[in-house]
Amino acid sequence: MFHQTPLKTGAVLLLAAAAVVYAFTTGFFGLELLTEVAILAIVAIALDLVAGYGGMVSLCHGALYGVGAYAFASATVLLGWGGGAGVAMAVAAGGGFAWMIGAVSARTHGIFFIMATLAFGQMAYAYFFDSPLFGGSDGMPGIARLDLSGVGLDLKNSLSYALFCTVLALLAYALAATLLRSGFGRTLVGIHANEPRMRALGLSVWRHKAAAFGTSGALAGLAGALAAQHTMYVSPGLLHWTVSGELLIMVILGGLGTLVGAVLGAGVLVFVKHEVSRFTDHWHLVVGLVLIATVLSGGRGIFGQIEFWWSPRGATRRAATEGSPDHA
Amino acid sequence: MTADASFWIVQTLNALQLSMLLFLLSVGLTVIFGLLHFVNLAHGSLYALGAFVGVSASAFAGSYWAAFAVAPVAVALVGIVLYVALIRRMRNAGPMNQVLVTFGLIFVFLDLFRLGWGDIPLGMAEPDLFSGRTAFLGIVYPTYRLFIIGLGLAVLAALSLLLSRTQLGAIVRAGVDNGDMAACLGINVERVFFIVFCLGCALAGLAGAVAAPVLSVTTDMGTAILIPTLVVVVIGGLGSLRGAIAGSLLIGFVQTFGAVLAPQAAAVAVYALLAVVLILRPAGLFPARG
Amino acid sequence: MLEVRDLSKSFGALAVTQRVSLRVAPGERRVLLGPNGAGKTTLFNLLVGELAPDSGQILVDGRDVTALSVDARARLGLARSYQKNNLFAGLTVRENLGLSAACAQGKATALLADSRRDPGVVETVGEVAERVGLSELLDASVDTIPYGARRRLEVGLALASKPRILLMDEPTSGIGPGGINAFHAFLHGLPGELTILIVEHDMDLAFGIADRVTVLNHGEVVFDGPPQEARDSALIREIYLGSWGADGGTDGSAGHA
Repeated sequence: MFHQTPLKTGAVLLLAAAAVVYAFTTGFFGLELLTEVAILAIVAIALDLVAGYGGMVSLCHGALYGVGAYAFASATVLLGWGGGAGVAMAVAAGGGFAWMIGAVSARTHGIFFIMATLAFGQMAYAYFFDSPLFGGSDGMPGIARLDLSGVGLDLKNSLSYALFCTVLALLAYALAATLLRSGFGRTLVGIHANEPRMRALGLSVWRHKAAAFGTSGALAGLAGALAAQHTMYVSPGLLHWTVSGELLIMVILGGLGTLVGAVLGAGVLVFVKHEVSRFTDHWHLVVGLVLIATVLSGGRGIFGQIEFWWSPRGATRRAATEGSPDHA
Repeated sequence: MTADASFWIVQTLNALQLSMLLFLLSVGLTVIFGLLHFVNLAHGSLYALGAFVGVSASAFAGSYWAAFAVAPVAVALVGIVLYVALIRRMRNAGPMNQVLVTFGLIFVFLDLFRLGWGDIPLGMAEPDLFSGRTAFLGIVYPTYRLFIIGLGLAVLAALSLLLSRTQLGAIVRAGVDNGDMAACLGINVERVFFIVFCLGCALAGLAGAVAAPVLSVTTDMGTAILIPTLVVVVIGGLGSLRGAIAGSLLIGFVQTFGAVLAPQAAAVAVYALLAVVLILRPAGLFPARG
Repeated sequence: MLEVRDLSKSFGALAVTQRVSLRVAPGERRVLLGPNGAGKTTLFNLLVGELAPDSGQILVDGRDVTALSVDARARLGLARSYQKNNLFAGLTVRENLGLSAACAQGKATALLADSRRDPGVVETVGEVAERVGLSELLDASVDTIPYGARRRLEVGLALASKPRILLMDEPTSGIGPGGINAFHAFLHGLPGELTILIVEHDMDLAFGIADRVTVLNHGEVVFDGPPQEARDSALIREIYLGSWGADGGTDGSAGHA
C-alpha cells in the first residue's frame, strides 16, 4: 500500500531542487536534457501507477504519450485551436485510448496483458505511420508552445520551458500520490493483491482497471503534449514500442512501485543514454546489458534499495504487494 | 485493382507465404511459452540473426543453400548459450522480469547486428533452383515464394508427426498440459525443455534465412516481425501447433488482403482482431491447455 | 431471503450438485452439513456466482440472480468467506478490512480523499475488528499473524462489507476448541437481521447455533429440518458414520470430519 513517507517526500524535494539548480547552471543542451527527463518522468510516474501499484505491466505507455503528442499537434496545427485546448485534447486522447485498452484487456493477466498492451500500442504506431493526415512517417512539424505570456512566462525560452516541465513533473507526482492514497488508489492495490476477492467484495474489477489505466493514460497524454511542444515536432517514432520498453526500464531501474523511483529512473536513463552516446554509437548494447544485469541480480531498483536500507521491515512489507506482477 | 481470378490467386499465395513465415516463428515461440512458461521477446532477434548469418553464409559460399543449412544451426547454437546463461534462470521469474530480460537482449542484439553487419539493408539472392517464376492456374508466380509455402507446410507436417507420433512429442504435450505432473512422473523435463528451446531457435533462424531473399535484411527486421508473431501466438492459443497454424493463417490472410483491399485499415485490422479474441476468448482459439 | 430452486451442476459425468432446493428465511441461521465431497463448497460457489449452474435458479429477496456476476451479487448484499484463506497478502489487517469496507460504502472510486481517514471506513474497520477479535492486530501484516487470526480476518472481510446474507465456508477449520467457543460467541453477537448460512463440520457448534440444518450427500439434499431432528436421524448417522452409527447410542461429537 502506498505511503507518502518522509523519505519519499525528502527525495522528491531533493530531486526537484537538484533540477532547478541544474537548470540555472547548465547550458542549452543541459536544459534540453532536463526537459526530456521531466517529461519522461511524468510518463514513468503514470506507468508506475498501473504497473508498480496495480500490477498491470504495460508496454504501451509510449504509445499513450505519443497519442497525446499527436492530439496536441492535431488540435493546434491542423485545427488551429489554442494551446490550452490542445492540452485538453492530449489528455482526453491519452486517457480515452488507455481506458479502451484497459477495458478490453481487463480479463487478461501476466504476460497476456503485457502482450495485449504491446499490440495495441503498435496499432497506434502503425496508424500514425501510415496516415497521410498526420504526416505519415514524416510526422508533423510547426508546433508552437503554449502562450503563457499572460502570466509572464516565455515558454519559447529553454530555461523557462525546462522549469515549466519540472514543475509539472512535481505536480504529476503529487497527483499520483494523492490518487494512491485515495479509495481509488487503495482499491487498485487491492486488485493487485487479490483480484478475485476484490470482485467477491462487490467491486466491478474491469471498470476499475479500465479507469486506472485511463487515468494513467491521461497523465501520459499530458506528457505527450509537453513533448510535442518541446521539440515542436511529432513523429510516429514517439509511439514505437521500444519507447514503451525504455519507460519500463526507467521504472525498473528506479524501483518499481516506489513512485519516486520512476522519476529517478527517468533521470538516470536519459543521462546514461546521453553520456554513453558521447563515447559510442552503441548505447543500446550498454543499456541492454545493464538491464539484464539488474534483473538477474534481483534488484529492487535504486530507490527501492534506498528504501530498503532506510527501513528494512517496512520496505519488505510493501514490496510483498508492490514488486511482484508475476500472476500468470 | 482487378477482381478476376488471377488477382485472388496471387493474393492468396502471398497470404500463404506470409502465413508460413509467421508459422515458422510462432510455432517455436508458442511451444516454448506453453512448455517453459517463458516468453522470449528476443525471438524476433533470433530470426534477424538467422537472416544476417544467412546473408554472410551465402555470400561466403556463393550459394543460397549454405544459408539454408548454416543459419538454423548457428541460431540454435546461440540459443544454447542463451538457455544456459539466461533462460534457465529466468524460467520461474514471472512475466515482467522475463519481458525485461529479453527486452534487454533485443537491445543487445540490435547493436551486435550493427557492429557485425553495419547499418545498410542487405539482400540475398534466391537459389537458382527456385529462381524465376512458375506458371499455373492462369497466373505466373515467383517460384521461390512457392518454395516458402511448401517449406512451411513440410515443417508443419514434420512437427505434427513429431508431436503425435514420437515419445519426445508426447513428453512435450504432457509438459505443456501439466509440467509439474510430468516431472513427477520421472520425465527429464529439463532436457526436453532444452531440446524444444533449441528447436524453436533453429526454426526462427531458418525463417530468417528463408525470408532474406524476399525481404530486406535490416537491423530492425526482428522487432518488426515480433509483434505479428506475438499476435499470432495470443490469438492462436498458447502451446499448441494447431493454434500456431490457425493464428498464422488468420493473421497472414488478414494482413495480406487488408493491405490490398483497405490499406488504411489493414494495419489496424490485425489489432482489432486481437481485441476481439481478447474479449471473447482470452485463452486464444486453440490453447493447448483447456 | 435466499432461495435456491432445483440447482444442478455437473463436471462432465460427475454430478456435483443435483437438483438442490432450499429456502433460508431472513435472519435465519442455517447450517449446511455433509461429508467431504458432498458438494457444499460447490454450492457456495454457485450461490455467489463463481460457478455457473447447468440449471436451476437462485433468488435473493425474490429477485432472480442466477445470471448476475459475482460482483453484482455482492453488491446486493451477498458476502462469502472462504474455506481456504483468501486474504489481501502483503497488507495489514487494517488495510484488508479497509478495502472491504470502502468497497461496500462506495468509497472505492473516491479519487481525492484519503480513504484511511474516511469516518465510515474507520468506524466499520474498528467495529469488525472488535467483533472478530483482531483489534490488537490491526497494524500487523497478514503475512505475520497466526493462522487463527487469519481465519478470523477471513470472516472479517466478509463482515466488513455489511452484508445482508453471509455465507461462511468452514469458518472454524483448523481452529482449536478455544477458538471454536470464541466463534460461537461471535455468531451469537451478530445482528439478528443478518441471514447466515454456514458450512460446518463441528457438530456441537452446528447444533448449537442452527435454527435449521440442511444435509447434503453426493450433491443432493438428503435432509432439511430442525437440528434436533437431524441429531436423531438414523440417516444422518449412517452418512457420517456408516454402519457404525446404525446401532443407536450416539453422542453429538461423533461427527468430526
